Amino acid sequence: MTAAAIEFERVTKTYRKRLGGQEIPALTEVSFSVAPGRVCAFLGPNGAGKTTSISILMGFLYADWGKIRVLGCDPGDVKAKRRIGFVPENFSFYKHLNAEKLMRFHARLAEVAEEATSGLIRDLLAKVRLSGYEKLKIGRYSRGMVQRLGIAQSLIGDPELLVLDEPTSGLDPSGRKEVRDLLLALKNAGKTIFLSSHLLSEVEQLSDEAVIIDRGRVVRAGAMKDLLETGNQVEVVATEINEELATVLRELGAKVERSSQGVRIIVGSERKRELVERLWLQGSDVVRLNPVKGTLEDLYMKLVGKNDAA
Amino acid sequence: MTTIMKRGMKLRTIAANTFGMFLRDKLLIIIGALFICVILMMMTPLLTLKARTAASNIQGMESYVLQLVAAIMSMVSGAGSLLAAWAAAAAVATELKSGTILAVMARPVKRWEFLLGKYLGVMMLMALYVAMTFGLSFILAWMGGQRIQSAPWVLIAYPMVRYAIYAAIAMAVATVAHPVLTWAFTLLLGVVAGLVVPGDSEPGKLALRWLKTGLYYLLPSTSFLSEDRFLSIKDSALRQTGWVEHLTTLAYGVDYALVMLLLAMWLFHYRSLKRD
Repeated sequence: MTAAAIEFERVTKTYRKRLGGQEIPALTEVSFSVAPGRVCAFLGPNGAGKTTSISILMGFLYADWGKIRVLGCDPGDVKAKRRIGFVPENFSFYKHLNAEKLMRFHARLAEVAEEATSGLIRDLLAKVRLSGYEKLKIGRYSRGMVQRLGIAQSLIGDPELLVLDEPTSGLDPSGRKEVRDLLLALKNAGKTIFLSSHLLSEVEQLSDEAVIIDRGRVVRAGAMKDLLETGNQVEVVATEINEELATVLRELGAKVERSSQGVRIIVGSERKRELVERLWLQGSDVVRLNPVKGTLEDLYMKLVGKNDAA
Repeated sequence: MTTIMKRGMKLRTIAANTFGMFLRDKLLIIIGALFICVILMMMTPLLTLKARTAASNIQGMESYVLQLVAAIMSMVSGAGSLLAAWAAAAAVATELKSGTILAVMARPVKRWEFLLGKYLGVMMLMALYVAMTFGLSFILAWMGGQRIQSAPWVLIAYPMVRYAIYAAIAMAVATVAHPVLTWAFTLLLGVVAGLVVPGDSEPGKLALRWLKTGLYYLLPSTSFLSEDRFLSIKDSALRQTGWVEHLTTLAYGVDYALVMLLLAMWLFHYRSLKRD
């Protein structure tokens, strides 16, 4: 059995205010794992414990309790960090450096051979569309450019695990698409990606699995397709039906929606045979029949929506 | 590349980056410029002294020039200690405050390597300051028509070791406290260290004597590491200090700085790298 790339087992963390102040529980017995080569979305409202979890994963914070393994090592272990690329939330930079110098700085810390550095920097900056801006001081970059630079620096050293905390924050729609395409390419290259984001539709397209956390506890975790499966409903798309049949179907508990492509009918799976027979009897053709799949947004709102709104 | 070479490269990279940050620090540049203005104003009397020196008043002039040079050098030296404390506190605090530390510590860098790199960056800044101070002391003596007879290495090694102590203390405190508090604490510590002399309290006040003796042994004896002790423009006045005494004094200073730096590393190892 292949060891998990990331493993959290009953991880607990409480922030303690100094001088006898209150205790704020950040994580309570958080457990999940991410298999190698998978893209895992880490979701939750603000203050749910996402950044705390990522900070513990990266060794910036120590957990009070629980077991954490990253690429088979303890968090913060240099052996693991050699194989990890990281983009922090609101990537901060040294304002006195330009992009090329910042990349060189990170390349040296990542133990990249000096002779390979120049070519690597050129390729990575081109990948995030920053070619031509190498010599510009980062202090003069837009927020989107800084974020793209953050992604470029995370790819130094060809990491096998990418930990990305809000990598598309501050990016415009085209910038977000470029990052998504880049992450898809990395996914196809077999990288493990652990991704925290609020952009649920993008995450849904990209991720194989998801962990949803709220108030420091995991509320749902698993493969994306399993999480989005609603279970006992089917969607039937048929050609036009008359209003009489539509009324009968509604009485049977079906949801009927008319569109330019025909009629979309959602019904409990136990009634799908009856529905199809009625449609045929009436002379309507069944175009498509699928199990109903929810969206990540629906699931998220159902699980943590109220708290997020608060 | 061997492990030692890799480690050396990482330390050099962090130190050079820290030094680069200081050289571009606007606050530091402004304070530095103001400080140079003050020094220039204090140097004005020296310009007239050379012309007024005659065979009849040579001894008095030597003494006056030395006093003036010593006053300026002592101010420069005090400012150096403050700079060392501030730079060390800022080196750690700005990284934590801005969050730049996160991308750095995500690299295969150990916490102690990061802190040592920052410390070396501070010491690079202090080496530049000492080089400037060294040049200044000779310029001052030349302006007053005299020559400094002190051994050049003494005017470099002693302040460097003293600044190494202040920087290490500030770095240790900065890992757990706010940088302004760190700076004030290090300043207070330096003042108290200069004031406490064991056994000079009134007889009968045993507790006070013990406190003073305790503080004397606990706090760094930076007065021993002052280059002012050796600043002389007269051969006859040059204090004859043996190598053993030099080495013992400097070894004490380096040892103190090393202990403080190890304490800083230990504290830094256990602290959060994120602002809570």
